[in-house]
Amino acid sequence: MNRKDLIELLKNWQVALLVVLLVASVFFIFPHVEDGKLATNLQYGLDLSDGTWLQMEFQAEVVGFETSRPVSDFLTDLQKSLDAEIYLIDDDKLEIRKYVPENELGQIFTSAGGRLTSYEQGVSKETGDQVKQILEQKLNALGTRDAKVNPLTSLTGTTRYVRVELAGVSLSQAKDIVGKQGKFEIRIHTTGNATEHVLYGDAITTVGIPSQEPPGSDRWGVSFTLSQEGAAQFRDAAIRYGATTDPENHWLDMVLDDAMVYSAPLSADLAAKLQVEPIRQLYASTGSGQAGLTAAKNLEIHLRAGALPVEVSVAGSGSVSAPLGEYFKTMSVIAFVVAAIAVGVVIFYRYREPAIVLPMIGTNLAEIVILLGIAALIQQQLDLLAIAALIAVLGTGIDQLVIITDEVLHEGRVPSPHLYQKRLTRAVGIIMVSAATVVIAMIPLALMDLSTLRGFAIITIIGVLVGVLITRPAYGKIIMAILSK
Amino acid sequence: MGFVTYDVNRYTPRQMVVLPMVLLIVSLAILGYNMASTGMPVKPGMDFSGGTAVTLLNPENPDTLRATFSGYPLIEPIGEKFIKFGPMDDATFESLATLVNEQYPDAKIDQIGPSFGQTLQEQAVLALTISFIGMAMVVFLAFRSFVPAGAVVLSAFADITMTAAVMSVIGIELTLPTTAALLMLIGYSVDSDILLTMRVLKRQGKLNDKLSGAFHTGIIMTTTTLAAIAAMWVVAFAGEITVIRDIASVLLIGLVIDMMNTWLTNAGIIKWYMLKRGAK
Repeated sequence: MNRKDLIELLKNWQVALLVVLLVASVFFIFPHVEDGKLATNLQYGLDLSDGTWLQMEFQAEVVGFETSRPVSDFLTDLQKSLDAEIYLIDDDKLEIRKYVPENELGQIFTSAGGRLTSYEQGVSKETGDQVKQILEQKLNALGTRDAKVNPLTSLTGTTRYVRVELAGVSLSQAKDIVGKQGKFEIRIHTTGNATEHVLYGDAITTVGIPSQEPPGSDRWGVSFTLSQEGAAQFRDAAIRYGATTDPENHWLDMVLDDAMVYSAPLSADLAAKLQVEPIRQLYASTGSGQAGLTAAKNLEIHLRAGALPVEVSVAGSGSVSAPLGEYFKTMSVIAFVVAAIAVGVVIFYRYREPAIVLPMIGTNLAEIVILLGIAALIQQQLDLLAIAALIAVLGTGIDQLVIITDEVLHEGRVPSPHLYQKRLTRAVGIIMVSAATVVIAMIPLALMDLSTLRGFAIITIIGVLVGVLITRPAYGKIIMAILSK
Repeated sequence: MGFVTYDVNRYTPRQMVVLPMVLLIVSLAILGYNMASTGMPVKPGMDFSGGTAVTLLNPENPDTLRATFSGYPLIEPIGEKFIKFGPMDDATFESLATLVNEQYPDAKIDQIGPSFGQTLQEQAVLALTISFIGMAMVVFLAFRSFVPAGAVVLSAFADITMTAAVMSVIGIELTLPTTAALLMLIGYSVDSDILLTMRVLKRQGKLNDKLSGAFHTGIIMTTTTLAAIAAMWVVAFAGEITVIRDIASVLLIGLVIDMMNTWLTNAGIIKWYMLKRGAK
């Protein structure tokens, strides 16, 4: 093919698009040398790098209920018999932050004068997001590189699991990090800026969710409870340093890991009460409106000092060492290269014509490069299953190029452009239908979050779409230009 | 191609569908028996039943491994690089993880709790069902004709069923990777079926010519895919990368079965359908 033909071919939009995307993909993958080794922008999943995953299950449930009693009375009774934190998350839905089996819970509901209408282990999406936030703060504070926290929420909106992925961390380290709590302390101002210790986080027994005080006032804050001992310490300190008589000059600071997270004076009301007796139920107000609510949410997390609001148990875990990840990566590359060669040999055996075989294999590889480019662009992680998907895309891709080639080569070699277009359209029709079935078959996996299968499905779907929309139509044009010689 | 001597036009539709239908019934019987005796059509692997898997970087003598891990619920057979354990409590797992870390610091450990496995299993079954229904809908929409579309869906169903039966006979467990492979098979299997149906229904010409033309193209398609998957299998087998090896095994079995179902089941039905409508 001479230069003029090549330029002619590039004027074809499908071919031009293929070339543009190919260049863009190489740019996104960005192969470069780093520390004497080849590096790219591709993201690798845990089994191809080193790191740990932990999947944790919430020991809590979201339940539907019915009762003919006033809801608040019903909830009070429930609270008593369950001895757990209970939150109304919808008119007829509760989040119970303690694991109770369904039949047991049903009985408790019945004896409290209500009925259990639905039961799902997990927490509400809001609580799930809060857990994500807490874990992320913790991981950031520790400077852990490349940490991912994903709550897995079902279609009904209940979050049963939260998955944490940490690069470059071993399993036991990961468990330590996730379970680790910060050092929380309350200090009181004595004279000027000097402060004295009042109590540590272990004196806080429960922490509430952001609430309005008084209700409906849009003034936000968080309530929390001190232990008997903690309440006594709190009262002693307040009296000793004069906070009960002169609250304005003796503010209280809350300190988490040596950083101040909240500071306010005692309210006049509380100061008076403390003079008389220890108070266990405290309330820290954070201001009004949206800003107050946000501050309250943050304070709640700080009060918990990195402890999760809901107990979790490890449902699954795994870790890969750096050498093994490296080994898997090398083997993946070998598998891919061997597969590409095998495909080339079979195609050559069938067509025995470099003019057909080379564009075919070239198109096929272009498809993979574009697929990898998109993966790098959307930061899709590549793991072993994704590599399998990649090789499968290579296999189906070549299949469909065979369909196109055979369809247009049918009876005689050089069909007229009109006939050629007709046949190409028919071939693309076949390809479209089979691509649609593959995409449909993979969609449930892409949406469902079946751990690593998601990446597999996403790579397959992108691969099929790239093939059908970009590379295969372009191949049709290229092969026509070649065959009309 | 030289090594394919099957002539798609030699047999009557009835002769063509007999073999696959017998095999389908046998497969359903195997899966039904498994279902009745264990509650699952194919033996669920660690991903679904819970357990722990350890992958080593360097091969180790199985006897040494047996001795090292004698205090834990080892599952036989054990490989030189890949060992599995049954479900255990958290404390036992912690001590196992510590032991593995001491002895084989470069190992990979994966652990799935039974309840998590149960969730995964339910979701996997749901995914397979939705995928299959979705595939059937696309096929019916594409052909808008009951018999040809039904033939494609039936061959896809036969592919999955027979592959699952072979898996259970030769002892490949149902895991997340093999579920992915079965799902992929749904996509793969309709590939050549659609080619066949499109060629026969939409092209002009004699039925026999169209059938042999479709067969010719279809066989190259499947052999190229087989070549890619076989290469993947060889490398994964040699390197003991169980995830890819299992996927490749299931796809290999599935593709061979798919050849039979496409060129006997589907071709038989479409031939009968065309002959009945007076095609020559």
